[in-house]
Amino acid sequence: MRRLIISAKLVLIFIVLLPIQVNADIVVILNPSSGINELTRLQVVDIYMGRKVTMPNGKLFVPYGHPTNSAIRANFYKKLIGKSAASVNAYWARLIFTGRASPPKMAPDGLKMAEIIETNPNTIGYININDLNDRVNVVFRFGPDE
Amino acid sequence: MRIFIRPLLLLLLIFPCIQVVSAFDLISERVRVSGFGTFGVTSAGKKQFGYHKELNHDALFGEVSVFADSVFGLQLDANLLPNLSATIQAIAEERVQYDFNNIVDWAYLSYQVTPNTVVRAGRMGIDLFMLSEYRNVGFAYLWTHPVVEFYTPISLSHYDGFDLKYTHKITPGYLEFKVYGGQTGSDIKVSRGDLNLRMRPFLGANATFESDDWKVRLVYATTEVSSIRSRLDQLLGTLNSIPQSIWPQATTLSDILDGVNERASFYSAGFAYDNNKWLIQSEFALMASDWPSVNMTNGYLSIGRRIGPVAFYTIGAYAKSRDSLTKVTSPLISSPALNQLQTITQNVLNAPRINQNSISLGLRWDLHSQIALKAQWDHTWVRKHGGGLLILKEPLEKDITLNTFSLNLNFVF
Repeated sequence: MRRLIISAKLVLIFIVLLPIQVNADIVVILNPSSGINELTRLQVVDIYMGRKVTMPNGKLFVPYGHPTNSAIRANFYKKLIGKSAASVNAYWARLIFTGRASPPKMAPDGLKMAEIIETNPNTIGYININDLNDRVNVVFRFGPDE
Repeated sequence: MRIFIRPLLLLLLIFPCIQVVSAFDLISERVRVSGFGTFGVTSAGKKQFGYHKELNHDALFGEVSVFADSVFGLQLDANLLPNLSATIQAIAEERVQYDFNNIVDWAYLSYQVTPNTVVRAGRMGIDLFMLSEYRNVGFAYLWTHPVVEFYTPISLSHYDGFDLKYTHKITPGYLEFKVYGGQTGSDIKVSRGDLNLRMRPFLGANATFESDDWKVRLVYATTEVSSIRSRLDQLLGTLNSIPQSIWPQATTLSDILDGVNERASFYSAGFAYDNNKWLIQSEFALMASDWPSVNMTNGYLSIGRRIGPVAFYTIGAYAKSRDSLTKVTSPLISSPALNQLQTITQNVLNAPRINQNSISLGLRWDLHSQIALKAQWDHTWVRKHGGGLLILKEPLEKDITLNTFSLNLNFVF
């Protein structure tokens, strides 16, 4: 019985913590060598919806994303354009299977994402604020109600 | 070949359902594999009037089929150089004619000339309609199948040639201009039998404006029929061999029926709106040609409402030939053979004429971020001598109605 109560408590803690993990603030990050300190929402939308966006140095942004079924990817697109993960995948299917654009390259997790961005100029990514380090620039963050 | 394709298609359809979660992420630095599929159950047509959603598919005569809507596609994209990439897309689906030429839907090289300009060469998707480059990718659109009245008359999936695309940012969206040229063709099934159609040159230009919620498109394309191989060749030969003194109209009828060297021009306007709640899409087209078989207008309006993972929708559509019916006059000399030839010619002239409209009701349920379940009912009114989109086992001498039920499981990976 005691074991059952502990298990129930653990499940409860997990359930309570789960939304915090999913809804943690997401920030868009760039390599500091880009010299860019801020991007508008429209620019972030363009970059992550498969449109080619050039940086001030004339190079194209190389976007990195998270695995297709990750919570952070679903949460990021929901905040950015208000679409569900299925709608985002339907949109990307239209781009991929018409040869219009390639989806963002993949980073397996937040820590790896930060590592990719800090070591590769021209790359852009997004991570939970918990995975943020001081070797990348935060160029966009969502408002408190998003 | 078909015996082989069917089990292969079933296997291909079942396999990715298991793998769907991970395979969409099969991306390396140089090569990406992606795929799509639909497992569909369709009930359509009547005993004498066959239904097919594409002219290059076999028709259903009132039976239930798991092949009419089922399709599996694989795409390989490879970055060869920083600005040069290659794409190959292969499709397995029920078709009138199976060969390597039909299975390889796309194979092209793409070169990014500037950030705004891309040139492609090879075999590419035909881009005449809102859905035409992804009409096989059911997960990418709302309905169980593209609107028959609008999409079926041009059952062309690809062309061999080039395209050049220029994109220009105009806040709040993007304006895209595209010009293309090459040659195209298709193996199709119509009431008068199987038909191998080749068209050259195929030229066109599209202008598209796209923002987060809106997409507006204008399309112009033109082509010339370079060759047709069909059972009709025999009838044309017979008509041409009849002296004017016996049947003055015979050679004129042969000219009307013969589509070779006939030019067809296509004009289309369409829009799509999706604000995550309402999904509205409409396209209208005019096809102008001296060849009565393809001289027509068509269009549709689709309205959908998304509530959570489910979207409900309704569609209204029509397709109508622009030419009036050609009346075949009697030969000057009466004989059983000539009278039979007159009847056959009249039926062959009537068969490709299109006059039908439909309403549809359906729903799409996103079961998973990469899997959607869809169900749709189409109720179609086909007018007398207007069954050009059907496979007719007997001449359509009266108005008929048809019901089509389709249930689909769509996925991408």
